[in-house]
Amino acid sequence: MLIELKDVNKTYNNGQPLHVLKGINLSIDKGEFVSIMGASGSGKSTLLNILGILDNYDTGEYYIDGRLIKGLTEKQAAEYRNRLIGFIFQSFNLIGFKTAVENVELPLFYQGVSRHKRHELAMQYLDRLGLADWAGHYPNEMSGGQKQRVAIARALITGPKILLADEPTGALDSKTSEEVMQLLSRLNREEGVTIIVVTHESGVANCTDKIVHIKDGIIGRIEDNREHNASAFGTATIMK
Amino acid sequence: MRFDIDSYREIADSLVRNRSRSLLTGFGVFWGIFMLLFLIGGGQGLKQLVTKNFEGFATNTTIMFSSTTTKPWQGFRKGRRWNLTYTDIDRMKQMVPELETVTPVISQWGQSAVNGTNSVNANVKCVEADYARIEEPRIRYGRYLNESDIIQERKVCVIGRRVYEGIFPEGGDPCGTFIRVGSVYYQVIGVDYNSGNISINGRADEAVSIPLSVGQKLYHRGNNIDLLCVTGHSGVVMSSLDNRMRQILARQHSFDPSDKQAVFMLNTEQMFSLMDNLFNGLNFLVWLVGLGTILAGIIGVSNIMMVTVRERTTEIGIRRAIGATPRDILSQIILESIALTLVAGSFGIVFAVQMLRLTQTIVNNIPNMSAEFQISFWTAVAAAALLTVLGVVAGLAPASRAMAIKPVDAMRDE
Repeated sequence: MLIELKDVNKTYNNGQPLHVLKGINLSIDKGEFVSIMGASGSGKSTLLNILGILDNYDTGEYYIDGRLIKGLTEKQAAEYRNRLIGFIFQSFNLIGFKTAVENVELPLFYQGVSRHKRHELAMQYLDRLGLADWAGHYPNEMSGGQKQRVAIARALITGPKILLADEPTGALDSKTSEEVMQLLSRLNREEGVTIIVVTHESGVANCTDKIVHIKDGIIGRIEDNREHNASAFGTATIMK
Repeated sequence: MRFDIDSYREIADSLVRNRSRSLLTGFGVFWGIFMLLFLIGGGQGLKQLVTKNFEGFATNTTIMFSSTTTKPWQGFRKGRRWNLTYTDIDRMKQMVPELETVTPVISQWGQSAVNGTNSVNANVKCVEADYARIEEPRIRYGRYLNESDIIQERKVCVIGRRVYEGIFPEGGDPCGTFIRVGSVYYQVIGVDYNSGNISINGRADEAVSIPLSVGQKLYHRGNNIDLLCVTGHSGVVMSSLDNRMRQILARQHSFDPSDKQAVFMLNTEQMFSLMDNLFNGLNFLVWLVGLGTILAGIIGVSNIMMVTVRERTTEIGIRRAIGATPRDILSQIILESIALTLVAGSFGIVFAVQMLRLTQTIVNNIPNMSAEFQISFWTAVAAAALLTVLGVVAGLAPASRAMAIKPVDAMRDE
């Protein structure tokens, strides 16, 4: 198993203690394309933060590729994030004053890769996502879909074991959303990238192979969706 | 910390991105370092200008002259006039072994020195050869008065700079020439270029010095002298001798030994220590104002970095999410802070050096004035080092705030 969560609990202590995750057990295998679905407040973002080593959990165990992720120093956490995980955010989170290629290079900068090499690599990835011509453009000169593709290139460049996408289509129109989802599933299919998508849109979840429903901090149903017919609104469309 | 060209480009970029803000913040530092260096240089120049006034003047000198008594004594009423006499010299020499030189002065004011058709106002100073130990002459031509001049009562003179320039407008060595002072001709034996501004009975450059023995006869002074100048051996604190010397004079001239106003004693040591205190005070002010101004500038930098960090919360969060360690963030913020301080400060150093150069040029163009205003190379280096340290200090608080930013914050901010 690539990812294993065993009885993970998380409580926020801001004034009133808020028990967000109440014992999460989840296994995700290498090469899977999984979505985590839930309404807002269901704990899916918290789960994503824990999966992405952006946040700590209180009790339980979390393994990536057999490595226990617990009680890490900030430095170790940063290193794991850098090497094991690629992030895709709803609001793209590109750095506005850096060009597309500079944004893609950034994770390699923090790895200490030489200037020349990381530029070359970044251009390669942009090319693969069809953005080679846009390498020198700033994020605000690009469309939402292009920005998200730059973000995907940035997430992929370190060759991570897991790609975590937090509402990757949340800021896109339905046509672009579909393109992005197709891109993700292609990456999963053709290159075997393990992808976890967090969403509250059933249409987006329908694009994935496995849907994990989370409700009130507990995993409810795990749906096998290899047929892509889970959507109540028809197949192969993303309803907005 | 990871360093390559991109790190520096990024720092430059982020400073240039907020151009006006960087400029305004940098101005605080610029002005601070400018003020500090300019004041240091200015204070140093001023000190040199002032101490030049004391040049060639023995620092452990006491000058005495008689005044009217203010206390009755041994049947004498108060308000009596008395005179220092030539015999007081030997008396002092014998009774106060701490003294090195004891020498008298007689002055004749408002004379005119004439050479051919040129004439200039001058004061005649009748002195002995060892007067040179009190007010050190800077001989440009010829020599100073010597013992033989005194003993043989030669009609010779040493003239001050202004006198020389006044009656020898064509310049050249005037030695051997006869000039007329009052109604007597003297042969010029030397020119004294001492331009110190301490005047003992007139400024040195307006003086015509002649042998005391000549002056005594010429001006009908008999045994009386105007001033008694004494210097102590090195290490002697002159003010501690005041009382003893007054008592010696009191016994001889019959006035109350406790009558401080009967004999006026001018102690250069006191003047010098006064000067020293003044300049120490000035120095303190220079540092206070200079460092205060820099500090204000640095606080400005710190503040603006704080704002920057706040503005860039999302960006820093993103960086953390994709693998920047807290140290990466720390070094980024601190380097930015150093860059801002150092660049602005360097301009301040350059500007201060230029302004000091200008000041020096202006001051040294004024006749009789010359002083070094420029700061030393090492002062400038120290200033640059100080700036670097201050840059780090200014970056500390903002950097620690930036380090506290969690990667989750990046996503929360939408």
